Formats: sequence, structure tokens, C-alpha cells
Amino acid sequence: MTTALPGAQAADWQATRPQRLHPVTPVVRALQIGPVLGIAAVSLGLDQLRSNPFGWLGVFVVVLAMVAASGAWAYLVWSRYSFWFDADGDLRIRSGVLQLNERRVQVSRLQSVDVTQPLLARIFGLAELRPEVAGASSGATRMAYLSQPDADRLRAELLARAAGIRVEQGASAPVAPETILVSVPTGTLLTSLLLQPDMLLLMVGLPLTAVLLTAVGAFEFALPMLLLVGTPFFVVGGRFVTLFGFTVAESPDGLRLRFGLTSHRSQTVPPGRVQAVRLEQPVLWRRRGWVRMVVNVAGASGGEDAQNRPSTLLPVAPEAVARAVLARVLPGVDPLAVPLDAVPARARWRAPLQRRRLAVGNDDQVLVVRHGWLVPTWDVVPHARTQSVRVSQGPWQRWLRLASVHVDSTPGPVRITAAQRPAEEARQLAEAQVARARSARSRSRPDRWLLDRPPE
Amino acid sequence: MSDPRPTADPTRSFAGDPFLAPGDGWVGVSPRLATVRRISVVGPAVLIAAAITVAVAVMASPAWAFVAVVASVAVVSWLTWLIGRQVRAVGYCLRSDDLLVVSGIAFRRLVVVPFGRMQLVDVTRGPIDRHFGLASVQLHTAAATSDASIPGLTPGEAAALRDRLASLGEQRSAGL
Repeated sequence: MTTALPGAQAADWQATRPQRLHPVTPVVRALQIGPVLGIAAVSLGLDQLRSNPFGWLGVFVVVLAMVAASGAWAYLVWSRYSFWFDADGDLRIRSGVLQLNERRVQVSRLQSVDVTQPLLARIFGLAELRPEVAGASSGATRMAYLSQPDADRLRAELLARAAGIRVEQGASAPVAPETILVSVPTGTLLTSLLLQPDMLLLMVGLPLTAVLLTAVGAFEFALPMLLLVGTPFFVVGGRFVTLFGFTVAESPDGLRLRFGLTSHRSQTVPPGRVQAVRLEQPVLWRRRGWVRMVVNVAGASGGEDAQNRPSTLLPVAPEAVARAVLARVLPGVDPLAVPLDAVPARARWRAPLQRRRLAVGNDDQVLVVRHGWLVPTWDVVPHARTQSVRVSQGPWQRWLRLASVHVDSTPGPVRITAAQRPAEEARQLAEAQVARARSARSRSRPDRWLLDRPPE
Repeated sequence: MSDPRPTADPTRSFAGDPFLAPGDGWVGVSPRLATVRRISVVGPAVLIAAAITVAVAVMASPAWAFVAVVASVAVVSWLTWLIGRQVRAVGYCLRSDDLLVVSGIAFRRLVVVPFGRMQLVDVTRGPIDRHFGLASVQLHTAAATSDASIPGLTPGEAAALRDRLASLGEQRSAGL
């Protein structure tokens, strides 16, 4: 990570003139209080509202005043916000109405730049830019709002600077060309979301239980069931809206993920930043040959950032397509071809449902752990990305002469645990993984994703 | 490296016990740690037990209060004994490329942290720790789940370990 970049470090950059966000920003911000007003109106009741001395006119004036006040504040925020590139080539952002705040986005530590479009911004053709920097603990930097072309241009420039490419003042940075690898069809996405074992169980189980309880005459228990009947549908609906139109595109700075129905997101997964991959195939997907992939991506740690970091690499795709995408993030790795070592038969007393699926194996690049009952899962972690290794053993496991080996990865949805290994083998597995991690790290190249790639 | 520390040997057999000590054994922690833990666990336990006993004596009969006293004494002495064993179960070992920490009796765990993966080393001393002359060293990696902490060290030992880990980490730093 501390490797010197040829050209980038020594050069002194030319500072650029401060720029503003898009002038429509205050309007969008002011309109964002709309839902708040709506909720207030509903909770007060329309009759209550109208009962003031001026009737509807009074309501109208109050609403207007509130929108105007919020707009005035948004205008102040906007007018005090400026950004520019300093002489070191880093992005500076100055903001704050009451308290002045100047932030420096160190371009050499840039992880990714996301462009998101919440619904309201999308209507106005605006977008929010989120440059993410490694190790930033003070929360994500959000630049809202820029016009869509401006956001794309600034994004390209940030990425170009991060790669050490010099851009003449006034000229625009070359936008990395991208080729679309996968786009998930809407029907496939919806079907895949409905064919999850847990969701199906809830969708069928809740109404069924409610009916049964009613039949028995236990109405007081049936009522809460009926109230819950809608929840799984809301969950599936929420996932559908979030993942709608999922596309994976390849560009020189990594895989670019785009998705979202109402608010549109774009995330970048730099290949060198992928720490672990999980492949899942819920049992009901097997006939269709679909799989899902989630990833751990190294980045800023911390609550708010965690949810903005990419985690779903591919919500659903045929296995061959998934392999092709996996080959981009972990080149030369085929986790399904790695020979796996099963757990001993006595493990059934500790993990009766998963027993037949529990297995672990490795090739010279990755460790693969298979587990899961209704959702067969393969967890893949490159040796070079292994953080620490743990062995754990509970009393029941000890009685059965079993132990679990955990390989720690950066925070994310993928957790790697080789569970219920024979006790006599667990420590060797752990020690061998530590040794593999060490030799893989000494072989690996420094983490410079843009410069590392050979010109195509 | 000049010092003859044991290196990891993946071919070594750990038949029967995955928590076997490497090479020259685990370095234990100070028995004073048991005292510190007993104060923070047994103290409140005694208070709760006394409160329950009094409540039983008032609400029920003295006979039941006697049962409560016996039960409290049993629980408190079990806790006292357990903490002693737990503290004796904590051990660490510096090898040439990694740190091993072992702990737990019923739920045993062992963590191996490669020096190249360490991001920072913390030394912490709480008020009770300070009174008993103890400190703990905690290692952090980029993974939140690593959690390798060594409690119950003397301040000198803790500082020496921290400096040593920091320098080893610097030599073998490997990025993310």
C-alpha cells in the first residue's frame, strides 16, 4: 500500500478554481421535507388541520412557509459549499453554515467513487457523488447534488488522478470505457427472490397458521399472525426495488454495479479489494442452475459506510455467468473445482442438517468452505487475504472430538468457518492456512489496481 | 531474524488436542488477574445473593433462607474456582511470524495473528487493573472478528510486548 506511484507522487498538481454544486440543489433539498409534512398532516388529521381560523388558506400558508424556510436553509448550505483540487492533487471540500468544515479527500487512498440517484434527484437529472477513501472513519463524503454529466465527469477525473493519470486543466478526464457483462432480467430477479426457502416458508406458513388457529377457535393468536402475513411480501418487494435492473459492467477501474428502481445506485468493486466471496445456491434454484454472489470489500469501516459498500456482486445468474464474473474479481480461481474434504460422520450429532454439506478444501490460491442446508453455500477466501485464523471448540464439540476453524476476513457478509473438523486435524488446518497466507502474501503484488493491469 | 523463536510448522501433529502449545509452551498471565476478575464478578454476585437471601427470609421461611444461603455459597465458590481456572487457561506465544493466544476451558479458543496483518496494538489499563498493577494488550487487524487480547500482563511486560509487536508488525507489514 505504501508503494510509490511512478509519476503521481513527485508531480505537483495545479490547483483548480473552487466549484459549486448544481444550483437546483436547494430546490431538491427543500422538497425533501415533503414526506415529513405529509406524515404530519396524516397524523394530525385533515379535519384538525382545517379547523384553524383561515381554513385551507391557513394550511397552505403554513406549508408554504415551511418549504420556504427549508429552502432558505438549503440555499445557505449550498452557497457555503465549494470544492476544488488542491496543489497536491487532492480533492478539497469546504462546507458548513454555522461551523466551517474543510475536508480533504486524499486521492491516493481513494477506494471507489459511487454515483447514486435518489428518486427526487433523479427527476431533476441530478446525482450524488460519494468518493470513498481507505481508513476514513469520519463517515462517507457525500457531494449532493451535481448534474448527472458533471458527476460522471468528476468521477472519471477522481479515478484518473487516483491512477496517476495527468489531466490538463479544462480538458476532461478520459471516461473509462465499460463493457456490460451481465444484466439481470426482471423476471429472473423476481422469481429468484420468491424462491428463497425462508421467504417461501413465511409466505405459506403465516397464512396457514392463521387459518389453522382460526379453525381451532384461537382468534386472539390468529390476529397477530394475520397482521404479519404481509411482512415477507414487503421484504421481497424491498429487495426487488433495491436490486431492480442489476447490471455488472467491466471497466479498467473495476467491476461497476448498477441497480435500483426508485433510487439508482452505482458501485465500483476494484478487483484487488475483494477480500472474500460467497456463492449461494438456494435449493429451489438448483433446477434452474442459478447462483448468487456476495463479497467482502475492504474499505472504510464504520456504521454508515458499511451499508454503502458493495456487498451483492450478483443477485442471481446462471452458474456459467457467475463464474465469468468471479474470474474478474478473483482471476484464475474456480471454487467449485477445488477438491473438498468432508467432515467425519460423528459431526451429525453436532450439525445434523448440514453434515453432508460441510467440507473444506484449498488450492494454491484460495481456501473454500462449503456449508448450508437449504442454502448450499461456498465461501471463498484467497490465501493472501487471510487476516487471522482461529480455532474454537465448545464442550459438545470436545466430547465429539470436533473443532471449528475460522478464517477472519474484513467486515462484510462473508464469514468463513470450517465447522466440525476432526479435532486432531483442526490445528493443522489452521497452521497450514497461516503458512499459505504468509507465502501467498510474499508473492503478491502491491495493491495498485489501475496501474497493475496490462494495457489491453 | 536473529532470535531463535519457533516457526509455524504445518506438518506437526496435534493429535487429540488442537490447543497444544507450540515449542517451548504458553506464556501464562499474572495470577493477580484472577483477583481483579473476582472483584468485578464475585463482588456483585455476593451482593445479589445477599439480597435474594434477605428477600427469601422475609417473604418465605427461615428454612428457605438457609437453602438460599447454601445455594449462594455454592455459586460464589464455584465462580471463584472457575475464574481461577479461566485465568490459568490464558496463554500466549510469540513465534517468528505470528502471535498465538489461547483461552477458555469449556469453550476453548486459539487465535493466530500474523504480524504482517496487525494494524494497531492497544495497551489498556482500567482503574482496578491499575490498582493491582496489571495491563492488557490488544491486537487489531483489518478483520473485526480477530479479537486477540492478552489480559493480565504487568505494565512492563505489556509495554515490552507492545513495542515488540509494533516493530515486528512494521517489518512484516503486508497491506490489506
